[in-house]
Amino acid sequence: MASVDVALATISFKRKIAYKTTWVFSILFGGWSLLAGLAVWNHLIGDGELGGYDWPAMKAYLIIGFLTGTLAWAGSDWEMANRILDGLVAVDLTKPVDFQRARAAEYMGGMTASVPAAVLGTAAAVLIFQPAPPVSPLAGALTAFSLLFIFPLAFGISYLSILTCFVTQRYLGIQWAKDSMVAFFSGMMVPLALMPGWLQVLSWTMPFVHFTTTPASIYLGRVDTAGALGLIAAEAAWAVGLWAAGRLIWGGLVKKVTIHGG
Amino acid sequence: MAEAFALKRSVPVRHVFAIYWRSLAAQIRSVFEYPADLWVMASAGATWNLLQFAFLAVLFATVPDVAGWSFHEMLLLSGLLSVAGGANALFADGVWSTGSYVVRGEIDYRITRPAPVVVQVASSHLGLQSFGEILLGLAMFGYGWIGAGLGLAWLPVGALALVCASVIQCALVTALCAVNFWVKGPMSIFAFLMIDLQGQSMRLPLGIFPAAVRIVTLFVVPVAFVNFVPVAVLTGHLSAWWLIGTPLTAAASLALAAGVYRLGLRSYDSSGH
Repeated sequence: MASVDVALATISFKRKIAYKTTWVFSILFGGWSLLAGLAVWNHLIGDGELGGYDWPAMKAYLIIGFLTGTLAWAGSDWEMANRILDGLVAVDLTKPVDFQRARAAEYMGGMTASVPAAVLGTAAAVLIFQPAPPVSPLAGALTAFSLLFIFPLAFGISYLSILTCFVTQRYLGIQWAKDSMVAFFSGMMVPLALMPGWLQVLSWTMPFVHFTTTPASIYLGRVDTAGALGLIAAEAAWAVGLWAAGRLIWGGLVKKVTIHGG
Repeated sequence: MAEAFALKRSVPVRHVFAIYWRSLAAQIRSVFEYPADLWVMASAGATWNLLQFAFLAVLFATVPDVAGWSFHEMLLLSGLLSVAGGANALFADGVWSTGSYVVRGEIDYRITRPAPVVVQVASSHLGLQSFGEILLGLAMFGYGWIGAGLGLAWLPVGALALVCASVIQCALVTALCAVNFWVKGPMSIFAFLMIDLQGQSMRLPLGIFPAAVRIVTLFVVPVAFVNFVPVAVLTGHLSAWWLIGTPLTAAASLALAAGVYRLGLRSYDSSGH
């Protein structure tokens, strides 16, 4: 990692950390989603189980979703999108810094700033709601390791979303579509275990599944150690694949930039 | 500044509507200049509604009802909320830009024009996702309507619900975006919070939530009147008397939006100070 990447990440980190309201709102957004999820699934599961999840397991599932969602929400989608919408990308093209790499550094810096809030929120949720513990210490460690891949995956998905701003005039609708894709296909809205077979297969072919189902499956022991390592390998492959896709699409779309004036 | 306000008070309502439609029509014309934008955004709007439908379909393949609400009744909830959100994007998407206009001082020249600022801002953009959102929302609403066994006799109530839902949604989003006159920043975070609240809780029966949520959504930020109350009346989960609250909330929300925007304009001091 070059010093310019560290510098960009640090600037983004400081910018995010300076605005305490961002902390509050990132917890509020994720927290509200967690509370709504707990209310729904508590009502549906009761003392029984659904899709192999009893109530303590479902609480753990939802809290993992809260943690990953809070981290992913904190990225700088809008800063990236606005660079294209406002035309700043034209200035970026003149800089001796790779656009994608620079945005990745900023994005990671922004996400890192949300880690304290996400961890504090998760700790509070664990203390209040008492979810099921990890199935084994190894599973707990592998879950924590799998969560690290949320960083490149969230960036990869957000970067592909903001590239649509080359052909749209606004990011708002795109962001909502992206967020709902993540919420649904990650298993956050409804666990994959409850979906029909074909929809489960479709979900596993997409990167979103690693935002909730992968860490929760490892944590709750729904996959063995070999399965867990396989899922982590899939996360790594998606991180690389999304990076390459971003580069490929950028190559095509950047030709659409029209620079006015002169 | 005072003269500008005096001028606006004298603007006839017909003229205001004419300005609004003219501005919105200009946005519609520009849509045809960027067809890719239209298709990408309309598909985005359709996507999240399809996923909402998929969520309900998956859920109801496992459980017969949620707090006494059937699949079709919950489709009515989701459909009405989508139409309301789409109406906001179609008729008043510009209000989401209030924060960035304030930060950049772009309210300045809108104050000098002989038309209400809120109308100029609201019609300054068209949310193209609205096409997909309203189409799919209406489809969900219609499918739920037929599936729930609602007859033609209920159509006037359905029409009232659609109109009031759109008005309340536009007005509440406008009021919350106007908070950016005081809390400076390009992001309309309070409006986002409301949309998040609706997305998480208003697509589900209110009965499953704690009393605090019911009180907030009915009486504090009255988003329950956008979709929950009219659908609960239509499906017999609430007494018909509750329906009176829907147009009343629409009128109160409009007054609130106009009031907050006016107050915001009074405290507006342009940028660069």
